[in-house]
Amino acid sequence: MNDRLLETCRDGCAMATQMGATAAEVFAQDSEETSASIEKHDLQLARSSRELSYGVRTLVGDRLGFASTNDVRDLGDVCRDALALAKAAPGDPHNRFPEPAAHVAVEGLFDEEAHAFTPRHVVDRALEMLRVAGAIDRRIVVGDGAFSAVRMTRAVANTLGVAASEASTFFAHHILVTAREGDRVSSMDFQAGATHWARDIDIVPAVDLACRNALDSLGCSAGESFQGIVILSPSAVLDVLVAPLLFQVNARNVLRGLSRWSDRLGTPIASRGLSITDDGTIASGVASSSFDREGVPHASLSLVAHGRLQSFLHNAYSSSAFGIPNTRHAAGSAASLPMIGPTNLAITPGDATLDELIADTKCGILVGRFSGNVDPVSGDFSGVAKAAQLLRSGRRAGPVTGTLIAGNVFAALEAILDVSRETQQIYGFRLAHVRVDGISITST
Amino acid sequence: MEKLLEDVVRVAGGWIEARYQERRSLLLSSRNGHFEQCSSGRTRGIGVRALSGGALGFSSTTDLSEKGLRQALASAQMLAAATREGKSHPVKLAPARPVRGTFPVDTVDRLDAHPLEEKIALVSRLDEQVRRASPKIVSSSVIYAETIDERIVATSEGTVVRVLDSKPSLRVLAVAGSAGEQFVGLQTVGVTGGWAELHARRHPDELVVEAVRIAIAQLAAPHTAGGLATVVLDPDLVGTLCHEAIGHTVEADIVLGGAVTADKIGHRVASELVTLCDSGLPLRGGHAVGLLPVDDEGVEAGRTVLVERGILRSYLHNRESAAHYGVTPTGNARAYQYSDEPIIRMTNTYIEPGETPVADLFEGIDDGYYLRGFAMSGQADSNAEFMFGVREAFRIKRGRVGSMVRGVTISGNAFDVLLSVDAVGDDFSWENGAGICGKGQPAKVDAGGPHIRCRLTLGGRQL
Repeated sequence: MNDRLLETCRDGCAMATQMGATAAEVFAQDSEETSASIEKHDLQLARSSRELSYGVRTLVGDRLGFASTNDVRDLGDVCRDALALAKAAPGDPHNRFPEPAAHVAVEGLFDEEAHAFTPRHVVDRALEMLRVAGAIDRRIVVGDGAFSAVRMTRAVANTLGVAASEASTFFAHHILVTAREGDRVSSMDFQAGATHWARDIDIVPAVDLACRNALDSLGCSAGESFQGIVILSPSAVLDVLVAPLLFQVNARNVLRGLSRWSDRLGTPIASRGLSITDDGTIASGVASSSFDREGVPHASLSLVAHGRLQSFLHNAYSSSAFGIPNTRHAAGSAASLPMIGPTNLAITPGDATLDELIADTKCGILVGRFSGNVDPVSGDFSGVAKAAQLLRSGRRAGPVTGTLIAGNVFAALEAILDVSRETQQIYGFRLAHVRVDGISITST
Repeated sequence: MEKLLEDVVRVAGGWIEARYQERRSLLLSSRNGHFEQCSSGRTRGIGVRALSGGALGFSSTTDLSEKGLRQALASAQMLAAATREGKSHPVKLAPARPVRGTFPVDTVDRLDAHPLEEKIALVSRLDEQVRRASPKIVSSSVIYAETIDERIVATSEGTVVRVLDSKPSLRVLAVAGSAGEQFVGLQTVGVTGGWAELHARRHPDELVVEAVRIAIAQLAAPHTAGGLATVVLDPDLVGTLCHEAIGHTVEADIVLGGAVTADKIGHRVASELVTLCDSGLPLRGGHAVGLLPVDDEGVEAGRTVLVERGILRSYLHNRESAAHYGVTPTGNARAYQYSDEPIIRMTNTYIEPGETPVADLFEGIDDGYYLRGFAMSGQADSNAEFMFGVREAFRIKRGRVGSMVRGVTISGNAFDVLLSVDAVGDDFSWENGAGICGKGQPAKVDAGGPHIRCRLTLGGRQL
């Protein structure tokens, strides 16, 4: 299947050049998914889908057009569409495709036994999620959830000689729960998990954490208003710190004038306690693959080392615009132009445990989840602290509700006090608890 | 295709719904004078849902032949069978009158009548206008997007409908910078219709002027301390509140999943000045983005009064939830693509206008805020707690709108906010047409209403 898909990509490139393209690239994706969803605390629906998608990029000189289809019979028409779009588009000297590069296949992405994972198994896993949640506490309501099994083949070819294909398997689950007690309804909590291997599927940690967070937020009391220390959970770290950081290090945003770190490479942008890496080559890594959306093999990258900014994330376009080597972070599907995105992104764990971070906090709050607004350009954030615990004299002083946290991401990064030793995997992110000072905390 | 779907579902046995969908899309974007995206897409396929023994199965295919359709149907029936044993509550469907016919797009100016070059020229011109508007503008972005859909829905009960749809949208972003700080001004417009309807809703040049003004104004604006305040919300924020904070809590699947509105039908949930509706019909000027003459289960659109003079009257239903509650389906079953199964979604959600002239809403507010525009960020929970970013916030002192403050968010419980409404403006506009609602799958929706006066919590900073 890999070879056939790659051959179609090559055929598409040939068609586009015959039609007049200076250069062409075809990315193809064959995805077969079976899933079972949960709604209203009951099994809702089992579903299956199979889709082949093709995305064609054509260059006419330095003008770029893109078109996509989910029907191989339209490949010729789509090449024609991409060509027409390129001819109509203004030019850009950095529109180019990558040169071929040798790559080593990343191990652990395809489970040979996945074919034995039937729709019945998928349904059973979804039922297991309900069973585990129900056994934790009768007040739990699973509002939404799903288990899915995916088999995917990706292939990409361009007229410069890039040619790569890879098959992978993926098993993912998520659950969204609330707890109800009389008229009291807790905050929603969302947790998820994923693996490439059927034997490694374990739905229990996500279900257990979601249920306990929901239960903990029942019976909250009002908090207090002050400016001080917040300990962000890995989920809150993702929303408050990592998402805007990724916006800032995305080379496309640097070129767009949206990053305030455009001239900060090698300089401190965070406290010394923060180090961040990205590596798409980790064997069996949730976000690993042997090549990026443009067919270039991934590599390991240091983004932030002891608080100093080490690199931006690049694809072929931005690396050309910067005149530096490509970091191989082209991302996206066949339905859109290659973007820039992380792979397996990890915060380097610190030395102290979460309990020690709490013990070091005289006055603060522990934020389980952040529900709010982060402006990645200005860095201003403000939102509701969900599953929040008041911290007093080094101890948890009980759950609080109606508490807003606000501040600025850039200031917060420089005000990081500690990073926890424990980490949590959230899809492709391995993140720790982070203790930050100077956050505005408002009880409503 | 209509005949093929009808012929196959009629004799398949059991309840079957088959849906063909073909979509053509166009995306053009320019940023800082560089054309970033010039891309198009085409998808087509068939999604089949089967009900068997009280369980649903769904399968989709891109094989449009009779063989492909029959295989998808068999797969959906097999998946329903696999689900049957594990279900606690068998699925039943409320009756729906079979519908037949073609539903065209209401436009005087079809999108495909305008060449690609004209659309590229518009995007390039607007991008340049933003950059040239002021030396304080450090970044600009303009995105034009359009989707043109054809859907055919056939059910084993005799429904066969062909629905044509066309939705263009425009988004203009200006970033102002000074002293290492940057602020965004964002303006959007989206409609169901064609080129002329998009331009008639809001002229593109007006989007540029507003985006630039908002971005620059924030440079000099201070933060505010936040806290509970009397506020006037504009139709954009009213629409956001209706959709995000209230609307999702009255989607029947969310209600059954534990939303705060469970068991609240007939109870007061808002001020008696508030009547809140959802409608796929072309109401209040038409061309709202969530127009939906027939939903993806073949149920005709209606106007659903969710909250009537403050009393919760209805949830939003598909045929399954309508059967559970013993009510009529409200025409809210929607699927984004052929490969998505229909789920309960809003269409156009809004508060009916009241009788207070907008200028009078500010009278009597000694110390409050005038809040304008959703900043395209925020979240809401099924317990109606919400937090939204506000695009523009102005102090109100002694009844007069004054200086701008920045970085404002609003939060609280949406029903508490609606209970606090003490005046509803006599204006109305649709405002949320360029956005996309996410609930496992995307959906184009709209929302709006009049200005309202209420009390809620502003998130600011401890100063």
